[in-house]
Amino acid sequence: MDAEREARRAGWRLIRGATRPQWSWVAAGIAAGAAWTVARLVVPQLAGAAVDDGIRSGDTGRVLVLIAVMLGFGVLQAGASGIRRYCAFRIALRTETDLRAQLFAHLQRLHFAFHDEAQTGQLMARANSDLQQINQVVILIPLTAASLLTMLGVIVIMVSKSVVLAVLALGLLPLLNRAATVFSRRITPVNLALQQELSGLSGVVEESLSGIRVVKGFGAERMQNERLAVRADAVYERSLQAARMRAWFMPLIDLLPTISLVAIIWYGGHLVLDGRLQIGDILAYNLYVAMLIWPLRMVGMLIAQASRASAAAGRIHEVLATDPEVADPHHPVPLPPGPGDLRFEGVSFAYATGRQVLGGLDLHLRGGEAVAIVGATGSGKTTVARLVPRFYDVSAGRVLLDGVDVRDVPVAALRDEVGIVFEDTFLFSDSVRHNIAFSDPGAPFDLVERAARLAGAHGFIAALPDGYDTVIGEHGYSLSGGQRQRIAIARAVLHDPRVLILDDATSAVDPSKEHEIRSALAEVMDGRTTLIIAHRPATIALADRVVLLDEGRAVATGTHEELLATSERYREVLARIEDDEAAIEGSPS
Amino acid sequence: MRGGWIESGPLDEESRIDRAAARRVLVRLARMLRPQRGAVLVATALLVVQTAALLAGPLIVRWGVDAGLVARNGRVVNAAAIAYLVVALLGAGFGRAVIWNVSRTGEDFLRGLRTRVFRHLTGLDLGFFEREKTGRLVARMTSDIDALQELVSQGLVMFVQNVLIFVGTLVVITLLSWELTLCTIIVVPPLLAASIWFRNRSNTAYLNVRDSISSNLSTLQEGLEGVRVVQAYGREGGFIERFEATNEAQYEANIETVRIATRYFPVVEFTGVLGIAVVVGAGSVLVSNDALEVGTVLAFVLYLSNLFEPIQQLSQLYNTLQSAGAALAKIFGLLDTPNSVPERPGAVDLPPTGALEVAGVTFAYGGGPPDTDGIEHPLGPTVLTDVSITVAPGERVALVGPTGAGKSTLAKLMARFYDPLAGEVSYGGVSLRDATRASLRERIVVVPQEGYLFAGTLRDNIRVGDPDADDARIEAAVDALGLREHFESLPEGLDTEVRERGSRLSAGEKQLVSLARAALADPTVLVLDEATSNLDPGTELEVERALEALTEGRTVIVVAHRLSTAARCDRVAVVDEGRILELGSHDELVARGGRYATLFAAWTRSV
Ligand SMILES: Nc1ncnc2c1ncn2[C@@H]1O[C@H](COP(=O)(O)OP(=O)(O)OP(=O)(O)O)[C@@H](O)[C@H]1O
Ligand SMILES: Nc1ncnc2c1ncn2[C@@H]1O[C@H](COP(=O)(O)OP(=O)(O)OP(=O)(O)O)[C@@H](O)[C@H]1O
Ligand SMILES: [Mg+2]
Ligand SMILES: [Mg+2]
Repeated sequence: MDAEREARRAGWRLIRGATRPQWSWVAAGIAAGAAWTVARLVVPQLAGAAVDDGIRSGDTGRVLVLIAVMLGFGVLQAGASGIRRYCAFRIALRTETDLRAQLFAHLQRLHFAFHDEAQTGQLMARANSDLQQINQVVILIPLTAASLLTMLGVIVIMVSKSVVLAVLALGLLPLLNRAATVFSRRITPVNLALQQELSGLSGVVEESLSGIRVVKGFGAERMQNERLAVRADAVYERSLQAARMRAWFMPLIDLLPTISLVAIIWYGGHLVLDGRLQIGDILAYNLYVAMLIWPLRMVGMLIAQASRASAAAGRIHEVLATDPEVADPHHPVPLPPGPGDLRFEGVSFAYATGRQVLGGLDLHLRGGEAVAIVGATGSGKTTVARLVPRFYDVSAGRVLLDGVDVRDVPVAALRDEVGIVFEDTFLFSDSVRHNIAFSDPGAPFDLVERAARLAGAHGFIAALPDGYDTVIGEHGYSLSGGQRQRIAIARAVLHDPRVLILDDATSAVDPSKEHEIRSALAEVMDGRTTLIIAHRPATIALADRVVLLDEGRAVATGTHEELLATSERYREVLARIEDDEAAIEGSPS
Repeated sequence: MRGGWIESGPLDEESRIDRAAARRVLVRLARMLRPQRGAVLVATALLVVQTAALLAGPLIVRWGVDAGLVARNGRVVNAAAIAYLVVALLGAGFGRAVIWNVSRTGEDFLRGLRTRVFRHLTGLDLGFFEREKTGRLVARMTSDIDALQELVSQGLVMFVQNVLIFVGTLVVITLLSWELTLCTIIVVPPLLAASIWFRNRSNTAYLNVRDSISSNLSTLQEGLEGVRVVQAYGREGGFIERFEATNEAQYEANIETVRIATRYFPVVEFTGVLGIAVVVGAGSVLVSNDALEVGTVLAFVLYLSNLFEPIQQLSQLYNTLQSAGAALAKIFGLLDTPNSVPERPGAVDLPPTGALEVAGVTFAYGGGPPDTDGIEHPLGPTVLTDVSITVAPGERVALVGPTGAGKSTLAKLMARFYDPLAGEVSYGGVSLRDATRASLRERIVVVPQEGYLFAGTLRDNIRVGDPDADDARIEAAVDALGLREHFESLPEGLDTEVRERGSRLSAGEKQLVSLARAALADPTVLVLDEATSNLDPGTELEVERALEALTEGRTVIVVAHRLSTAARCDRVAVVDEGRILELGSHDELVARGGRYATLFAAWTRSV
């Protein structure tokens, strides 16, 4: 509970901070609101006066004067209302837009481990529905200021005419406000739960669409449809729960001011009969009470919305308050020039799940050397690679690039010198050219083409409908698996790093092309330190040296042949146990 | 807004088209609501009664003033007060029933819409998902339907009620004094002109808003999905800039609607004051001529707010309605997207077993209708040309060949992700075009090259292979592949949360999950597209052997670059440039000394 209050408080701070740059608009909105209020208060007075002084006494000239004045105030009211509205929306939209930009920028900088655990759907909800909650409350701020003024003015005017009548007319109205407040308090948790269900639903949609190939491949459409139906049912239940509350409170909130009108007619009527009030006053009173309905409800709405918005802002704050774990050191040292000498010293590492993946890994790649890491599925090869550009930081030990701990240099400088080809290729839905020139969008075309050639991609790219300008579909799924992989290689080549990491980067490359790519890669690797993660002997052969990774450490090192000869585990991992040779030789039955 | 009096205004060509579109949306909505007709009628009836109660108020006031105050009769004043109170209580009671009924009907409708749109989506051909951005489609199911939700939960009642109040008031005041009504009516034309202007302008503005939201969501989503690559290449700055551009575009689209409203609402407010002025002025003339009672003037002023508030509220609701209408139009657009792999009327179940036959198949990607942005996707180059291959029941066939040869394409055609341009894919003599979707998915399972893990546990993910499987069967499938030990070594075994896209698993582990799915699904035809490419050869060998034992007697088609896999199959098909160049057993092809022989020589040399 306390944590929640703290989160809400932080949420308010966030909203305040975000609206601060717009104080001039807030001020303008409030000023316009005040003018609007004054005009609105004066018009009923004039109408009442016209009825009493003009109509009842038959003085048409006076009626005309009053009408002219009334129209003047009408112009004021209209103008002020426009300005007030514009200010309110502008402030709210600006706040929403700025916060969204801030959130996105922050998310882009958050460490991998955060994104491993986060759900895109949830993050999208932060940037979408949560921000809208804030927008809604910010809109109400200048509007409420005018509402409060209206209430004050109405009360003063009514009391000045007849205290008893004012009490009768207004007596119930605090109840109105109370009802609105209770209503909002009750409905807030329901609305929050509804938001939760809605974001769960959008999660199901997002996943089903992103994984549509798997869904179709396994015929899981029915399963996903059912998952969605469960979510839709939950949304339905929650919405009805909210509707039930609205059905109780809204009519009540409407009823209370009507009872005030009844009081005015009854008591005010008798005052008129006693000659202590004019008929026009009854008219004015009626108009005033009607005028109070919206302000009072708006204050109630503000209270409801405020709690929703503070909760939403609290959730956004939580994301914004997460500091990037991988950040520049306080006293960064520049990365010295060097051949790309890479050293792992007693490196241990565990992911958030706690299981130790690497334990005391020692590994040294001399500048310009190419080393292959071989290991079983899940042995931690990719993890080793991820530690170099600091996607994660080691739990113990250190990683040194050209003699400097990677944690001591600016992150951007480090990543500038490390190029990585991920095992699961991710391409952007952009042109092939922009995908290859990803790290340097301004790269001249011949560099792009050269990178593509070296990655063995130029041939098929040239055959695409628009060549290098062909826009590839989301995730690059309009290309074949091997084509995607080659573009990713080209992307790393263009980056021109000191250390190149190829994480199973040839898994989808066919053997016939393999030697082609191999000679090209040999050219690429020339003059760089290369870390190759591979399962295929042909790729392993690119390396000067092979390291066998097992149980979180480097258990053997040597050339491919040496390891085949000396390490049983190595033979096991590469399926080079004798009976397996037999399987290849004499398989077809 | 209620048609009649607004549609009488002059309209230009463009808005006429808009209006036609709006009418289509409405007609369609009405049709979709037909099953809930009863509930809609009840809600409407309740609404009418409630509005009548609201309208009675000022009439009672008039009576109180004329018969009570002017005639100086205290009893009438008392009676009027009591009558007003009773009417108000009745109104509140009915109001409650109205809100409850409308919400229930509306939520019912929305629930149906959600499941229906989603079912339509998941049934569409793969080509559709390649044309459209995921973020867009998610927006259809989320922010677009949310816009409708707002309408249902608040807007609809207010909308109908305001229309009723407006019309009812007009009737009542005409009965009270047609002279005064006529005078009041003069303020309507300017209001009407302003409303028409507003309607036309905000129509496009709201469509823009919805578009800008969904394109902003798309950028957001891609930025989140690709965040690892972005950081790896230090491109955070560029992405933030890109997002800021779409984010500002969304702001601009929104603020444009505000600008339009800012010009409109002052007019509405001013006409409100003008109305009071007219009533008072004209009233004073009429009263002095003894053509009217003071009470009537009073009632008129009260009624004026009944006349103008609805217009103002309706204009505001019009925003809600506009965005709901725009959302609905988009949702309908989605529902209307033709499925290019539909289930034919009279489709038959695929036979339990049979040969999988690909006969003279030619295929090219693209060629569907334009996407939401109106971008055309013309038919691309031919990817498969006149491909024929028959896989006998129980046979294992490997597809090998260079990158981009068309292996995956062929695999996807075998499960009818698309239909071929020419030729036919059939199973057991039944063309896949004529098969029921359910039997197709049950018989033929494809493990796609683009694997995907859902957020949830390993167990949940394996269950994708067969949603009805219990834990025992899932464990049996894992055991059968010999993966038990591997999965147990994960922090919580099969109950390990894999997180989105399986971000907590290694690449090979993700493939193991896909294979376990396949083992659980246990189809008659299994198509494995590079399903073991990230495994270490040792594990691969174990899993393949286990899978072979498991799929004994089943038809298996594997796409593989590792020729050790191909060598273990009954037949090998070499695919290149969209054609099958060679087809035969491993030994035959090696002996033939053609393309495969060269490939295999290269492979063994490297091994
Ligand atoms: N983000 C993560 N959070 C938690 N655990 C993880 C994460 N990434 C990997 N792991 C676990 O750490 C272990 C090592 O994973 P890693 O990806 O380094 O393996 P790998 O050697 O690259 O395997 P493969 O050959 O399958 O790619 C695996 O058991 C995996 O489940
Ligand atoms: N969704 C798509 N839209 C447009 N073109 C596509 C699409 N998918 C594949 N292609 C193109 O069709 C051709 C064949 O692709 P396919 O995926 O069938 O190749 P593949 O033989 O599986 O290659 P790989 O071994 O690299 O996976 C390629 O040129 C590819 O660019
Ligand atoms: Mg890996
Ligand atoms: Mg493929």
